[in-house]
Amino acid sequence: MQPIISFQQYGFKYKNQSEPTLKDITLDIYPGEKIWIAGPSGSGKSTLAHCMNGLIPFTYGGEATGSLRIGGQNPAERSIFELSRVVGTILQDQDAQFVGLNVAEDVAFVLENKAMDRPQMKQEVETALNLVGMLDYIEHSPYELSGGQKQHVSLAGVLSTDAEVLLFDEPLANLDPASGRKAMQLIDDIHRKSGKTVIMIEHRAEDVLQQAVDRIVLMNEGRIVSVGTPDEILSSGILRSYGLRPPLYVDALELAGVPIAELKGLSSPRKLDMPGLKDKLDAWSEQAGMKEETAISPALLEVRDMTFGYDPLHPVIDRVSLQVGSGEIVALLGNNGAGKSTLSQLITGILKPQSGGLFYEGQDMGSWSIRRRGEAIGYVMQNPNRMITQHMIAEEVGLGLKVRGLSAAVIKEKVEAALRICGLYPFRNWPVSALSYGQKKRLTIASILVLEPKIIILDEPTAGQDYEHYKEFMDFIASLSRRGMGFLLITHDMYLALEYAPRAVVLSGGRVMAEDSVTAVLGSPDITEAAHLKETSLSLFAKANGLASPEKFVQAFINEEKKGKGHE
Amino acid sequence: MNRTGSLYVTGSSLFHRLDGAVKLVLFMAWTVMTYMFLDLRVFVPMLAVGIVLLITAGIPFKRMAFLFWLMIIFTVLNAIFILLITPTFGTRLTGTDTPVIPVGYNTINAETLFYVLTLSAKYLTLLPISILCIFTTQPSAFASSLNRIGIPYKIAYAVSIALRYIPDLTEEFRSTLNSMQARGMGISKEDGSIKQRLRNLAAVVVPVLQSALHRIDSVTNAMELRGFGTQKKRSWYSGKDMEPMDWTFAVLALVLLGVGIWLKVAMLKGFWYPFS
Repeated sequence: MQPIISFQQYGFKYKNQSEPTLKDITLDIYPGEKIWIAGPSGSGKSTLAHCMNGLIPFTYGGEATGSLRIGGQNPAERSIFELSRVVGTILQDQDAQFVGLNVAEDVAFVLENKAMDRPQMKQEVETALNLVGMLDYIEHSPYELSGGQKQHVSLAGVLSTDAEVLLFDEPLANLDPASGRKAMQLIDDIHRKSGKTVIMIEHRAEDVLQQAVDRIVLMNEGRIVSVGTPDEILSSGILRSYGLRPPLYVDALELAGVPIAELKGLSSPRKLDMPGLKDKLDAWSEQAGMKEETAISPALLEVRDMTFGYDPLHPVIDRVSLQVGSGEIVALLGNNGAGKSTLSQLITGILKPQSGGLFYEGQDMGSWSIRRRGEAIGYVMQNPNRMITQHMIAEEVGLGLKVRGLSAAVIKEKVEAALRICGLYPFRNWPVSALSYGQKKRLTIASILVLEPKIIILDEPTAGQDYEHYKEFMDFIASLSRRGMGFLLITHDMYLALEYAPRAVVLSGGRVMAEDSVTAVLGSPDITEAAHLKETSLSLFAKANGLASPEKFVQAFINEEKKGKGHE
Repeated sequence: MNRTGSLYVTGSSLFHRLDGAVKLVLFMAWTVMTYMFLDLRVFVPMLAVGIVLLITAGIPFKRMAFLFWLMIIFTVLNAIFILLITPTFGTRLTGTDTPVIPVGYNTINAETLFYVLTLSAKYLTLLPISILCIFTTQPSAFASSLNRIGIPYKIAYAVSIALRYIPDLTEEFRSTLNSMQARGMGISKEDGSIKQRLRNLAAVVVPVLQSALHRIDSVTNAMELRGFGTQKKRSWYSGKDMEPMDWTFAVLALVLLGVGIWLKVAMLKGFWYPFS
């Protein structure tokens, strides 16, 4: 069989860079295959995708070496439009991809560009929407759709082109766990029904492997370091050496000292065929799975019976109560639209509640101004680029102090102290633009820390970061919590909650539907379903292998992870 | 502004059904007419027709209130300033001077009062037709009809794409402003002097602009990957073909304009002042 995409000793260097981004790539992708291209940030996986869909060389220029054939032809000799008929791309940013003013227009976009007649176009749009189950939403505007639904629409838009290859650039970014699972399922359905070639660029193994893939292509520093079936790659245990995280149950097996190299069938959380495995894991769960006694710390922040909403029959926030103590990390979980961001705006004072109270160290904050609240409770946005306004690092951190009229000497002292805590002191005289994304994220924390709040609200702190950066940042947050800082993590990333937050508050439809340890919350099917979460692969695996106590198995994993055993 | 970013209000009135390009022609003819004359005898009938059309379109007043009051306030302020700064301007147009209201340094005369009345009517004549065009035209259908009358589709599409992303940008702006406010760098009264607050506002523009540029980059990629701009022609999902009614109105607009020009040249040459 002829490969549909074929790289031979291919290399690529962007126009204004001195080092090539892709080196010596040799890869054949055959029609009908389902491929996962994995790799940490900066490994070159996005560049590889650009080579396949024609953004290279048509939008991003540079020098290519070796050969690349797409559908048997050299892409450089064709146009980006011709290529889009072979390789259809679904971008990571669902909002950027959604260019139409409503669903129908967006799906029709490619057809419009082909100058298709209107009656035929209407018919094709309906067919494509039907394939992804979105026909009922044909008149909807993008603002009435969730991220997952927008992605479905994008997929319909690509399906209407009849491209043989579907290329997904980080399909799971910005989706809550339940939508992520649905997306993977839809991709798998389309793959099976249409026989199209599917290529996914991702770094989250746990989520990608929810549905079978044929081959994993592992990239690092611009090279392909390994190609193999999921079973082969997982058994070889090499994901972690390239800054990627294997699925949690594989992690757990390693932590329990099970030699994974000898195991077959690791690619999904199913029953494994290994004598004595159950006993070994049960013993490990029993020994390591004790629940840590968490000392109850006095509440720093208390939300008491808070209600907010313009329509009294359907409040956006409905009698919500929660507490965050000193040194505590509390996860606020829930799907999009559950009221997480509204609640944080109520706490920071941007919105005023209809009823209920807000207390900080026992004092009523109800009458406090936004500014005064900001000194007690810091708020850090998801994307650091949206918070940084100054050119120099030290100025950015000192800005909040400067407007408070402190003297230059005091500002300097406080800024340096905050930068030291955040590990940015060596860069204090650098421009902000010299920092990486993760460092910018820490910079935003530093600029909040100088105001000396006792609680910080973190909005989706790890979105869009690969495992290595994610872990680095969250370990930093954990170290701040040990200094007594309280954190409220607003997130739909359950693994984040699982590993770093002992306690979770689950919001659904504006109400607190559960407040418990994260292990308990994620172990309860009712809660996970209502909050668009899903059961973790850990407990799925524990159940599939008939372990005595899945909950203890999960707890053992968390405890061992916290000790930082094994992987360092 | 509704959630789709455009000001479009769904409906089925005459103006809703009219083709976007025809509406544009009508609007331009109307505007030219208005600017040609300084004659109340022309403005009063135009204003009456405009108001009738506006009422039949059934746009809820709440939706257009902002634009409506903005234009009214502008017109009133304009009138007051003319009266105060040049109280006898009317004399220059009519050659007569009939003092009416003493204002200390000078006396406002009847000629100027009538001039201001005419001028206000002139501005207000544009009000109903502008509101109609803005609120009854679906942006992508408008883009499609612009393209049909010969505007290159890349330019026509820009209207539609801008409307698509304006709400995203305002949302981003708002959330950035909120986070700045929590750091004591907001734009409310407690955040310091007007100067400081303006400076804070300017600071927010930096990250929002940066993210807008980033957004433009990804949207451009998304559009290119879906074949935008590669062909000479493009078809449009929204929009429809020209119907007899559209042609009728296009012709009507041109006839109206012709009559206007004839009137201007032959009869109603300058400022109309009935009392001299």
